Amino acid sequence: MPVLESFLSTLGLLIVAAPVLLLAVFFGTFLTQRRLQEATIGTLVQGSIGFSLLSAVGAAATMLWHRVAQHPIELGDWVITPHYHLSFEFVLDLLSLSYVMLTLVLCAVIAAFSTRYLHHERGYNRFFVLFALFLLGMVTASLSDTVETLFAGWEMVGLSSVLLIAFFQERPAPPRNGLRVWVVYRICDVALLLAAILMHEINGAGDFDHLVGKSAWPAHDPLLIGPHFTMLGVLFIIAAAGKSALVPFSGWLPRAMEGPTPSSAVFYGALSVHLGAFLLLRVSPVLDSSIWLQVAVVVLGSTTSAFAYLAGRVQTDIKSALAFASLTQVGLIISEIGLGFRYLALLHLLGHACLRTLQFLRAPSLLHDHHQLENAIGSRPREEGVMWEQRLSPKMQLWLYRFSLERGYLDTLLEKFVARPFVALFRGLDELETKWAKLLDGESKAKEAPRDQ
Amino acid sequence: MIDFSWLGVTLLLPLLGAVVAVFLKVPAVAMRVSLGFFAGTLITATAANLTFAGPKLAWLNHFAVDDLAAPMLPVLALLHLLTLLGTAKSRVSPMFCVRLLIAAFVSLAAVTCQTPAILIALLVLGVLVPLWDLMSRGQPVRGYLIHMSFFVALLVTGWQFVGQDIGYGLLLIALLLRGGIVPLHGWLPTLFQGAAYGTAMVFVLPLMEVLAALRLLLPSTPEWMLNAAGVVCLITAVYGGGMAIVQNEVRKFFAHLCLSQTALVMFAVMLHTSNGLTAALCLWISSSLALAGLAFSVRALEARFGPLSLREFHGFYEQVPGLAICFLMTGLASVGFPGTIGFVPMELLISGSVEQGLGVSLTLAIAAMLNGVAIMRAYFALFTGKRPTTSVSLQKTPMERAGIILIALIVFLGGWFSPGMVASRHHTADRLLDRVLVETR
Repeated sequence: MPVLESFLSTLGLLIVAAPVLLLAVFFGTFLTQRRLQEATIGTLVQGSIGFSLLSAVGAAATMLWHRVAQHPIELGDWVITPHYHLSFEFVLDLLSLSYVMLTLVLCAVIAAFSTRYLHHERGYNRFFVLFALFLLGMVTASLSDTVETLFAGWEMVGLSSVLLIAFFQERPAPPRNGLRVWVVYRICDVALLLAAILMHEINGAGDFDHLVGKSAWPAHDPLLIGPHFTMLGVLFIIAAAGKSALVPFSGWLPRAMEGPTPSSAVFYGALSVHLGAFLLLRVSPVLDSSIWLQVAVVVLGSTTSAFAYLAGRVQTDIKSALAFASLTQVGLIISEIGLGFRYLALLHLLGHACLRTLQFLRAPSLLHDHHQLENAIGSRPREEGVMWEQRLSPKMQLWLYRFSLERGYLDTLLEKFVARPFVALFRGLDELETKWAKLLDGESKAKEAPRDQ
Repeated sequence: MIDFSWLGVTLLLPLLGAVVAVFLKVPAVAMRVSLGFFAGTLITATAANLTFAGPKLAWLNHFAVDDLAAPMLPVLALLHLLTLLGTAKSRVSPMFCVRLLIAAFVSLAAVTCQTPAILIALLVLGVLVPLWDLMSRGQPVRGYLIHMSFFVALLVTGWQFVGQDIGYGLLLIALLLRGGIVPLHGWLPTLFQGAAYGTAMVFVLPLMEVLAALRLLLPSTPEWMLNAAGVVCLITAVYGGGMAIVQNEVRKFFAHLCLSQTALVMFAVMLHTSNGLTAALCLWISSSLALAGLAFSVRALEARFGPLSLREFHGFYEQVPGLAICFLMTGLASVGFPGTIGFVPMELLISGSVEQGLGVSLTLAIAAMLNGVAIMRAYFALFTGKRPTTSVSLQKTPMERAGIILIALIVFLGGWFSPGMVASRHHTADRLLDRVLVETR
């Protein structure tokens, strides 16, 4: 048995080691100022994903063969003081292996697609460095067995997402949208960070098994449920809502489509957007501790689903339409988690991620095909069927259309009641500070500072 | 004996360098010579750290490498080296080198100083270096002078009454003023706008107020005073982060970022718990180095393009990608991004604050969030956008390249070796707290 355990641990570590090595190679080229050829980058990326995938498949097959439901990989305490300890641990179980294999399969597809799609593109290297960071983040988050490990992966995914949204950096819109997404991510990171702190406060450690018990996912030990679980659940829900673009944070998802198609596909169609759902699946016993948490999750999921359906219906570009279609399904997955259908939610997540990746990758050529079709028949193809909206009164239809077109006014509301007051407050303080400095220094005497170091 | 010689050489080298630099007329020669002295100081400071085996008094029994000073010696030496390394050759003057070398001596001497009166004298001496810089550049000094006069007066008066509550109160206010804690921060943005960037950096980034708080305040300051100061620091951390977001000039952005980071470290000191002090000591190291790295890239940009605004997108990435990466790495390290030198200290701080209530942890997390947003906004403003066309190459110079490599290694290797740093700082924190307990009894 120890041989089996060490074999599984080795395989688990190899899953993570390949993307780490890939990033280390990129870091080495940065330090030595060497520029890798496109073909070399493609080979390195696909090689490391392939290696990780083989290790993951090997681990899954071994666990199935030996009927091992769960295998923790403890790397030991990384930082330890009498009052605090920080440990990095991974776990191989149904949830983690399913999600990590999904990640690796989709990343392999996207890597192969991108080497051709971005051929001779300025920023080819930058794309793959960020892609490698994303891969490492996803693998780390998927296999995490402590909240700190999850947080590390979560942050890497967030950073790479934002920098890829701003990939076409010569235009002003991508960086602006990237910054908006970063703000939402940071707000939700605060929730996850606080959840981590609370876990330490409750259990003295950030290990998930202290929270849900030693049993394999999705089973849990009901005796571990404590009074702080409701608060903890709320924090996890906020973190998941930001990462998965649930209401009221949904406004960032269409903005994220500024990035290149392959990153949109893998991030917002498939993996990143499901990370919130993955988090809720991982901590689902926390949700079970309170009926109110479950109701909140169901309401959040179904509201997001309804909102995304309406907003998606009026989109005029294919990537935004697909983004909202993704969100509709993510909302349903979240509702399923709230209702306690863990296996269904996991299956739904896996299937949806694969389908949506295919749709995103097919989107540019699909448009081309449609144009050819229209040219061939000489008009637009006739739309068939009766939409349910047509049964509403014209006034209601108009309202619904405007509501959908304005994406539920979510961005407007957040801007009006959060962003603008914040900026106005600090700009006002800045003006006061400037006046105070001028008063102290004497306005007339100040002159332009020389460009000195 | 070994400690004595390494410390002695470490303190003498920058002083000697300053004397030599005074007599040099050619800026390029002054820079090369000063770099040599800084490199020598870094080597001897590292040796003093590595050979440290226990406190041993030296230099007329006033200076010693103790467990608080040992890791800070190479950090401070490195900070000053990076400051000069990041200065464009065309902007260096011999007097600038002299000021940097004097500032290095003051910081290194202060951190190893065991006699409170001499420490106070060194803190006062440190104040004069930026003043000299501002005056030599013809910049208004009144605001800085008013603030620093109060600082000196409070520090000296407070020390006269040490042992009484009033004395500790005055010392505490003096150190909050030196740290730029709101509302006593009016001098900080002015200093960054008026003085040479390098001079402002070496005055602010060594966080001498943290050192002074640990050496002068912690033994006996009443708890309610520390708690009250902690609240002010917390407010400053959020205020600095918020202000950094709305700034339209790079220098003011950096000044407010420093303000927020300093407040976070000072808050950790004010926690006066084992976890809090460990976090403070770790953050002191990580923040100083990360912000020095951030300033390094900002200064390299300003050397090429002049004072920079954050109102528009400049698109510098294509011209200087190395600086873009350096900016992002160090900026994220300063807010505790995983895998960097700042991650563990920030985690320690937030978890250490939970004893004060979840609201305090939330406020700290919000401050870190605001700083993160400010850094990303500045990154996008500086490095994305339409590429400027230039007729000359703006690629990084060999010195900048060396600096970037050094910074990259510090940011990531520092993250990797965080456990060792935490263990050592935890031991020091406990020793400081033991001293508190003994003095209280």
